[in-house]
Amino acid sequence: MTAISDHSHDKSPQSDRIAWAKTAILLGMGVYFFLLILTGKITYYINMRFAWLVVVGAAIFIVLALVNMYSNLKEADEDCHEHYQIGWDILLIVALPLLLALLIPSRSLGIEAVNGGISLNPVGVAGPSAFQRSPLDRNILDWLREFDRASSPAAFNGTAADVIGFVYREPSFADDSFMISRFTMSCCVADAFPIGMPVSGPGASDFATGAWARVQGELKAADFGGDIMPVLFADTIEAVDEPQQPYLYP
Amino acid sequence: MRIEAEHSAGPSLFKPLVFALLLVFFLAATGYEAISAGIDYSLIVGVFATRFLGIFVEAAPFLLLGSITAGLIEAFVKADDIWRFVPRNRLAATVMGAFLGLAFPVCECGVVPVTRRLFNKGLPVSLGIAFLLGAPFMNPIVFASTYIAFGFGPVFIGRIVITILVAVTVGLVIGSFAKPAATLKPLAQEQDHAHDHHAPSATRAKLLHALQIAADEFFEMGRFLILGSALAALMQTLVPQESLLALGTGSVLSVLFMQVLAYILSVCSTVDSFLALAFVNTFTTGAIVSFLSFGPMVDIKSTLMFTGVFRPRIVVYLILLPFMLNLLAGVLLNLALGY
Repeated sequence: MTAISDHSHDKSPQSDRIAWAKTAILLGMGVYFFLLILTGKITYYINMRFAWLVVVGAAIFIVLALVNMYSNLKEADEDCHEHYQIGWDILLIVALPLLLALLIPSRSLGIEAVNGGISLNPVGVAGPSAFQRSPLDRNILDWLREFDRASSPAAFNGTAADVIGFVYREPSFADDSFMISRFTMSCCVADAFPIGMPVSGPGASDFATGAWARVQGELKAADFGGDIMPVLFADTIEAVDEPQQPYLYP
Repeated sequence: MRIEAEHSAGPSLFKPLVFALLLVFFLAATGYEAISAGIDYSLIVGVFATRFLGIFVEAAPFLLLGSITAGLIEAFVKADDIWRFVPRNRLAATVMGAFLGLAFPVCECGVVPVTRRLFNKGLPVSLGIAFLLGAPFMNPIVFASTYIAFGFGPVFIGRIVITILVAVTVGLVIGSFAKPAATLKPLAQEQDHAHDHHAPSATRAKLLHALQIAADEFFEMGRFLILGSALAALMQTLVPQESLLALGTGSVLSVLFMQVLAYILSVCSTVDSFLALAFVNTFTTGAIVSFLSFGPMVDIKSTLMFTGVFRPRIVVYLILLPFMLNLLAGVLLNLALGY
């Protein structure tokens, strides 16, 4: 399967088909990478800081596809064949990302990807302070960082907050509470990590688990799951669309 | 018909690996279904697809850059040009071997044939072994991907320091008892590269040749990346975080587990940082560093390449010594960091 061809000059249609299948896969990968950028769906997969890498990858794929195409055509004339003969099994494996991308609708990580609870701690605490941001502009990650720095849970009593996230519940939560949650992502979805802050309010039970919501209200230290912590007491909770960039970047 | 030893070893490993992957998939899927009968299965598949594609999309550009480098080396660099600068002193030569990857940016997939050519030029065994173990990490592309994944911190620095220490130590140990003739399999000693005898000479033709090799390299190595990404995404999606945490917090157990995982996953050194990221939230830092320093030295695919080139006794040393030294380094790092 991976042995080098023996320079024999008989060209079977089988090896020809494999050569063109390689070209097709390379081309398909290049087109897929470009489409990820053009449609903005790249935000589902990697931190936008590294989007340029995907452009580089797309360009290399296209170049390799063209070179491959050129050598396929040339070899048809000159009958000079000297590279690896790979089998259909390898082609199938390498085509797997393309097949999955075609068959399964792309979507960001949401509630169903939460595997074992939501963290109340910010990942990578040593982030920039959000203090220079006004409280109403802080996102869930900013708030968790501030909570982590604060001397007591009551430090933010009375501060207004306005955050967007998806609704997360555990059986132990009270009926009028949930956690407003986001995934953080440093690099790509491999390191995506769910974080959230507790929300309490009369309208909370109207929102389905996993739905995206915007919560506006005031922070106040309160009991949540047995610990005293800052809880967002909601004045309004409204349904919103999933944000353009679903993850928060630490 | 000439077949390169390091490539002829490939097929025998590949089918069992695919089979193992399917088996893991099946077991994990049935297990998970039993636990959470209430959850929509298509959503889980969607989560898997997102994680899998995320790892692949982030890693593929690095694999492509590595493939192009391998192609350029194959087409443009003559081994003899470098060998004139080898120092006489054995320690100095071994240390040079560990750093030689900076001049020859190859990943673990490309390093075995280059090492074999080193030995055939009559270079010290210790230098060749240090190169073999160090080069997959000691190259600019892997520095970049490690930096992008982890930033400048304990993982990045630990990976450099441990890789150099282990590569030099193993190089000195094996170099102290083995002569080149006793290191290589007889078959591998006088074998020319199959491409050599009609490699093109004009620059444009060489460039084209390099890009063709790069495309082949992408398929040859890409399958390990894709299977590795699938396995990592499966584990993240199906294995509950608590079980991973139980494995990932012991200062010795976590390192052991990540090294075995690195061996099984066999992912190219240019992209393994992105897989390691998947374990950052659950595993000790020492385990992450050991995963990153051991993985590029020895894994399933490089073991198979080793057996095609080295004598069996040397292969055993080449696997066991790096395994134990990396384990030791990872555990010590954990203790130093207070896990």
